[in-house]
Amino acid sequence: MNNFSSEQSRMLKDISIIDFTLVELNEYLDTHPHDRQAMEYFNHYARIKNQMARDFSARYFPLTADMSTDTKDWNWVLSPMPWESSFGEGGCK
Amino acid sequence: MWSYEKRLQFPVNIKEPNAKLAQVIMSQYGGPDGEMGASMRYLSQRYATPYREVSGLLTDIGTEELAHLEMVAAIVHQLTRNLSMEEIEKSGFAPYYTDHTIGIWPQAAGGVPFNACEFQSKGDVITDLFEDMAADGTPL
Amino acid sequence: MQDYNFDERFEHYPIAMAYVPWQHLSQIYENLEEAFEIGTIFPELDKPFTGRRVIS
Repeated sequence: MNNFSSEQSRMLKDISIIDFTLVELNEYLDTHPHDRQAMEYFNHYARIKNQMARDFSARYFPLTADMSTDTKDWNWVLSPMPWESSFGEGGCK
Repeated sequence: MWSYEKRLQFPVNIKEPNAKLAQVIMSQYGGPDGEMGASMRYLSQRYATPYREVSGLLTDIGTEELAHLEMVAAIVHQLTRNLSMEEIEKSGFAPYYTDHTIGIWPQAAGGVPFNACEFQSKGDVITDLFEDMAADGTPL
Repeated sequence: MQDYNFDERFEHYPIAMAYVPWQHLSQIYENLEEAFEIGTIFPELDKPFTGRRVIS
């Protein structure tokens, strides 16, 4: 079990909510590549996701290896694996 | 090419182990309609379409199925944490445990190993899409 | 890809084939956390499974 703080859990959940929105818009846009409104939604949420992922990675651990920030240790591998239990409370029980 | 993001697509926090449930849910990992078959189906079929919209969509859905695969594995893993030998025997988990202990291995609920025969890839986009509808049931 | 209108052309479709109506973007859920729990951001794709069939 990991010991995420509630702040850390909340941030990770918010990232997942926004990223899920992006996955849905991405798949819609694959078959509707000229849909302006969907494009606007995607661009809007992609900017938010990017900023959130960077904030999270700077504060806790890199969400992707290339988001490693200027730390002494390789936190990409020192941080908990996702199945150790995800965001604290909530989710599938 | 793929990259990995270190989180589950949807959180999994199981409090109580349940080996009986784990054996059923395992089917969504490596069973006939599981996520492994789904991902391999889309990622294999994507070469056969003349439409970029379709090969792109199959790539992205095949990728998303890998995220689903990881969530199902997390559920099975958490359901089999801290089990006693008595619980393993009582719950009917002993046959699985004999071969894999609590390792994650792709099989159907009845013990049939994951097999590429669970999906089809025929080199024709319409034929493949009909198979996808039969396999996925609803647009997942 | 062409944007077929399901209703207008339906009569002219060949028989013995299966068809899927084209999705048009209307809106996405305002509450994205709710959409995350439901499993889609598109209200028209929210079809809860009741054990035997989905609610259309």
